[in-house]
Amino acid sequence: MDIFGDLLMGLSVAITPINMLYLLAGAMVGMIVGVIPGFGPSAGLAILLPVTFGMDPISAIMMLAAIYYGAMYGGTITSILLNTPGESATVASTFDGFPLAKKGRAGPALVMQAVASFVGGTVGVILITILAPMFAQVSRSFGPPEYFLLAIMGMLTLVVMIGKEWKLGLISALIGFALGTVGVDLETGQGRYTFGSAELIGGIYFIPIAIGLFGLGELFFAFYQGLHKTGSGGIIQYENEERFWPTAQDWISTRMTMARHSVLGFVVGVIPGAGATIASLMAYSTERSISKNSENFGKGEMAGLVAPETANNAASSGAMIPLLTLGIPGSASTAVLLAAFLLWGLRPGPLFMEQNPELAWGLIASMYLGNMALLAISIFAIPLFVQLIKVPYRVLGPTVVVICTLGTFSVHASFVETYLMFAAGIIGFFMRLYGFSPAALVLALVLGPLAEEALRQTLTISRGSFMIFVERSASLWIIAITIALVVFLPLLNRFGKSAGQAEKAGG
Amino acid sequence: MQPKREDKMTTTNESQSGWVRATAIAAAFAVPAAFAAPAIAQEYPSADETLDWTIAFGPGGGNDIMARTIIEILNTYDLYPGDISAENRAGGSGAVGWGYLYAQSGNPYGISTTSGSFVTTPLQADTPWQPEDFTPVALLATDDLVLVVNGSSEIETVEEFIAAAQERPMNIGGTGTVNVDFIVPTLFAQRAGFEFDYVSFNSMSEQTTALLSDALDAMVGNPGEILGLIESGELRPLVFSGQNTPAALEGVPTMAELGYDIGVSMPRGLILAPDAPAEAQEWWINTMQQVVETPEWDEYIASNTLTPTVIYGEDFRTFLENTKNGFEEVLRSVGAID
Amino acid sequence: MRIAFLLVVLAGAVFYSYIAFVDLDFLTRRGRLGPGFFPRIVGVGMVLLMIWVTVDALMKREADTSPAQKWADVVTLMALAIGYAVFLRLFGGFIATVIYLGVALSVLNRGRYVQNAILTVAIPGGVYLLFDRLLNANMPPALIDLPF
Repeated sequence: MDIFGDLLMGLSVAITPINMLYLLAGAMVGMIVGVIPGFGPSAGLAILLPVTFGMDPISAIMMLAAIYYGAMYGGTITSILLNTPGESATVASTFDGFPLAKKGRAGPALVMQAVASFVGGTVGVILITILAPMFAQVSRSFGPPEYFLLAIMGMLTLVVMIGKEWKLGLISALIGFALGTVGVDLETGQGRYTFGSAELIGGIYFIPIAIGLFGLGELFFAFYQGLHKTGSGGIIQYENEERFWPTAQDWISTRMTMARHSVLGFVVGVIPGAGATIASLMAYSTERSISKNSENFGKGEMAGLVAPETANNAASSGAMIPLLTLGIPGSASTAVLLAAFLLWGLRPGPLFMEQNPELAWGLIASMYLGNMALLAISIFAIPLFVQLIKVPYRVLGPTVVVICTLGTFSVHASFVETYLMFAAGIIGFFMRLYGFSPAALVLALVLGPLAEEALRQTLTISRGSFMIFVERSASLWIIAITIALVVFLPLLNRFGKSAGQAEKAGG
Repeated sequence: MQPKREDKMTTTNESQSGWVRATAIAAAFAVPAAFAAPAIAQEYPSADETLDWTIAFGPGGGNDIMARTIIEILNTYDLYPGDISAENRAGGSGAVGWGYLYAQSGNPYGISTTSGSFVTTPLQADTPWQPEDFTPVALLATDDLVLVVNGSSEIETVEEFIAAAQERPMNIGGTGTVNVDFIVPTLFAQRAGFEFDYVSFNSMSEQTTALLSDALDAMVGNPGEILGLIESGELRPLVFSGQNTPAALEGVPTMAELGYDIGVSMPRGLILAPDAPAEAQEWWINTMQQVVETPEWDEYIASNTLTPTVIYGEDFRTFLENTKNGFEEVLRSVGAID
Repeated sequence: MRIAFLLVVLAGAVFYSYIAFVDLDFLTRRGRLGPGFFPRIVGVGMVLLMIWVTVDALMKREADTSPAQKWADVVTLMALAIGYAVFLRLFGGFIATVIYLGVALSVLNRGRYVQNAILTVAIPGGVYLLFDRLLNANMPPALIDLPF
């Protein structure tokens, strides 16, 4: 076992003044990029990749990894403060993050999300360090049947989102599925709802819809409620300024949440293609089903924010496993990192870590350092961000419109997507006003195509037989875990709860 | 989701100087009236005119890298006298960028590089242009595919593969349907006389994991992206679709060597606006003949595992037409387009 | 308003289902799930549920109690946003943002002239520096070149 030798070697490669400078610069730029709606880690990395051309590969990869993590940390800030997820992995963070901010707990929420991100990211790197070869085995046992089952697991969150107004919630989800079918059909190559437009060949991208429905929709709704006229006109009033730091209760109630979802997020992240989004959704619904306060979820429960945040950062560490051990990028972000490796003339694949130990272990070491740097940066930056919610809505409103618009445009330089964002904003307002669920729509838009494609691939492979799901051991495992999550955990939970308090209806 | 090969990053040793901002200029959506009446009484190319180089995809993609490699070679060897302004005009799988060039009919200073979407996008959407409308300069290289099976498979050679597939239909994975990934195995299977089920994926990484997990029997893909896995023995290459096997795949036969020539590949070439003056076309043909002789170009071809296939002028137009017709025929026969 | 919105969604659902049944095949030629399989299920589901919800809403019709003033501000903000979208196309990212902020702030943040003037210039300037200079990201290009 020379893991520690390798890690020390990695650290010695990573810790040079110039590399640390690049790491810090990358972390900060990444965070800024992550805060802008529309720029997730992958868009941020793609845009900033050229900056690293001409740098020494180790410095460059450290900077890129720092940008990647920085964007993951930064992405949640707007989810909490403005209800605007910058990318799909932080949608789940809006469910309880924004209600927390509305309750006046933006400060604690931001601190807890930074800590959760740190724990998730760091546990992830530790798992990479110790168990990379073992997890490489996991990432190569996933084919279409497993992806279909995973998408179904992700959809369990939809059931949570749909909630009491089940008809409206279900319609919202169906609209999301419907939007997800736009584009050229993957299997037959036939155009669906493209009406001859070249812009629609690739389907409806998730980002403009999410930014419109959540960000603009929320803004319009706030104006409808007249928030821009009340009091100071800020999003919320701080009755109590001292409540910046999380309470002891916050720490104690979420410590197991962090532990659980670090591991869960990492394992899901290891699966190429599943990644941070599904990890965060699974974490949210799992946490809700085992929580003693499940009725508080969606109303500003700290565990409901910590769970997806821990999981999506752990997953972004996990996504490094297929990249480093197989040369397969597990996510859009790691695909950009792969392109960077290729630019430097490296050949990612199973022999990569053996052939380039300095780079591989330098990267891993920089991930430890990056997470620490980002935790520190976050703690310093949070007081600044919290000021944002004190800006009166009548000024913040137009500014948010500007940032959402330009952020959406810059991702693909597309006017069509920008207009889609505006349309989604107006529709999002009405959906909110009349009790529909924008969150269910967005989740369905993300998960629908995944499930449809995987199911159709599976049935092509199996020639129409559903037996394939029980013939493959990885599939059986997922089915077993799903049943455990859906049936046993809530039962156990209810059993425990009914002992202590009066039984609650519904579930 | 549409497979966007262009979005996938490929490799190059292009340096930071090749990076130009991805901002589209004002003219991207309007046709300046001046282009309507091209008058090139004087010599082509004039050093006073800026060459307007359209890259129909975003920075970092295969098309972008090829364009910037050529521009760098033109600059290094002082082959073009004037300024070259390269702009990424991305959108609609190439429809925006090539539509911009199409609108400059007759202008000798509008130029663009092509890739697979140049053929496939017009088949899928109502673009005003067709690939053969443009003034062809040269086909420079083609993207070809390698058929691989899992390293633990019992199938060792392509002959064994064909025999096994004739006995029991296989499933073969690839990226997208309106794409060479689908066309190549379809034509190969027709020629070699076996049947298969095509499984379409969104990306190379999804299909590679599916093959590693034994869900697929085989897949086709660009060799550049899976060389690492081939090297370590996780994947076993069986046959290559291009005219000659790249160095990294030594010992792998080509489909043509087996007698199953399919003659379809993704064209990486250079085009001018429609109806560009003959002297401009000629000048560019002569210039590209010099470009492909440079060591920088060899390096680009090698690091991207492309197949160097050079065809000039009107032959390139014929090549594009044939490729498009071949695509159309196969896709129509399976009902992908109508 | 509620009824109107529901009817719009219903119309969208009917259109979606129409295309799913007319243009898209339920099964492929090889008998597998075709491109129209899920759209048909989703479309029919949407239409049925929307009819149910709309009928429900018509049965217990309540007067729209929200005061007109509430709507006035939302409609203003939406109209401004749509105007912004149009200007973006015409004048490009920077100019459109200046115009939009100038108008939006003078309507919403009435009377604070100095503050508005500073924000109108500072925000687009900051965004320009961040996107264009620092990040090399795309900004919307202009269709019409202004003479400066």
